[in-house]
Amino acid sequence: MKRTVVPFGPQHPVLPEPLVLDLILEDEKVLDAIPTIGYIHRGLEMMVERVEYTEMGFVVERICGICSFMHGMGDCVSLESIMNIEIPERAAWLRLIWAEISRIQSHLLWLGLGADAFGFENLFMHCWRMREQILDIFEKTTGGRIIHSVNRIGGVKRDMSDTELAAILVQLQDLGKQFKKTANVFGTDPSIAHRLGGVGVLSMEDARAVDCVGPMARASGIATDTRLIGANYYDRIELEPVVETAGDCLARVVVRMREIDQSIDIIRQAIDKMPKGEGMPLETKPRGNPMGEVFTRLEQPRGEVLYYVKANGTKNLERFRARTPTFANIPAMIKLVKGCELADVPNIILTIDPCISCTER
Amino acid sequence: MDSASFLARVGDYHKAGWRLALINVTTVIAAPAPPHGAAAEPAAPATDAPTADAAPASQAASVFEIAWAFAKDREFETIREQITVGDAVPSISEFFGAAFLYENEIRELFGINVTGIGLDLQGQLYKTVTKVPFSHQAIKARLAATAAAAAAASAASAAAAEKKA
Repeated sequence: MKRTVVPFGPQHPVLPEPLVLDLILEDEKVLDAIPTIGYIHRGLEMMVERVEYTEMGFVVERICGICSFMHGMGDCVSLESIMNIEIPERAAWLRLIWAEISRIQSHLLWLGLGADAFGFENLFMHCWRMREQILDIFEKTTGGRIIHSVNRIGGVKRDMSDTELAAILVQLQDLGKQFKKTANVFGTDPSIAHRLGGVGVLSMEDARAVDCVGPMARASGIATDTRLIGANYYDRIELEPVVETAGDCLARVVVRMREIDQSIDIIRQAIDKMPKGEGMPLETKPRGNPMGEVFTRLEQPRGEVLYYVKANGTKNLERFRARTPTFANIPAMIKLVKGCELADVPNIILTIDPCISCTER
Repeated sequence: MDSASFLARVGDYHKAGWRLALINVTTVIAAPAPPHGAAAEPAAPATDAPTADAAPASQAASVFEIAWAFAKDREFETIREQITVGDAVPSISEFFGAAFLYENEIRELFGINVTGIGLDLQGQLYKTVTKVPFSHQAIKARLAATAAAAAAASAASAAAAEKKA
């Protein structure tokens, strides 16, 4: 049978960011997919040559508008590790709380995009309405809705009062109740089950073979979660990775929905356990220039992010490298697309929650 | 690098159930020589030797540091190699299917010759204006341009201050 090459992207209704997959088709079946990225490669890692390490965090948090807080946190945690800085306890708890709020925001954003891709525009609007409440919390507590710039090397810039934290928890728990109704639609609607169930199945063996991370791996039955390392105060939180076993597009939706509830619970635990009071120290000022290297691992909403930072005792870092979760999940996406029907390609691509800005940096 | 022993070590990680977490490359740029009269070792005779000769032996040649990082639950380990420009590096695609993306990237951005990549994207992964932007020449050229711009700005600032005085 004659083969046809269909370029999927860089402009496509389901793609919020440019990515090209050259799909090699035989009739409607995809035989192979060749990826091309590079449309939004900004060379941010090269900025270490011009930007001093104290200001590099502002560049790093612009790698992505959705994981912005956690990118900034990753840069600061890496440099704190190299410079042997122990941050104040309250600052560490605040970082954890903001990180989990970021996760809720990211998952709501993705669930909306997913719903839009399979034709449920009303569901998309509900998810993004709830996400707006999260962005309001960010704006109120950090001053920024997307780029927060609240991380500093040695701590955080802003505090949240105990009353403010209590109010945020009430707001999040209320959001959790609202979300249950939306989650019910995702979980029970027969059209959604028909569209996503059994589509793009990634078995546990295949997920291991392509080294995928985050919700993508957990939806295939791998109980992996970088938060379990226990760094950044996650060792003080009771946490079980959210795991589904079906490995299909629907399982990846369910994992992210359950992780929203999990993040709300983690925030509740953090607020419960963190030291209370006003005017507590938030920052330990760094002294001198960093010298040394470190690999830092964090669990971003899309999965494990890995930073390599090398400093040579000058004001400019020698190397900064971020390996983002989408970069790690692209091989899995290519594996899933091979052998599927052309009509399923958009949903499969979306269910890895691709972030091309992160991937290309 | 000894390709056979390197691939054997990678194969051991694969057999033991480790996950490929990252392949990272760092372009090693020799530190600039100290200015005359400010040598780190006063006993050393003054010399007009170029910067590369003044650098430590490991930095005298144009070298790259490569780290293959593997993760397994809480554990994290790396294999490190230092190669000189032009050396070939074997692909680890036969063990880790996800390696092709890292390997295409380091070939395009650093100019490292990776042989036997599982999915060879033929230089089409990124679209950079500067070909091989992390090569030694490209980095040195950018650093020189930045230093020259800083010197010009400093001179302009000094001239403005003198004029004001």
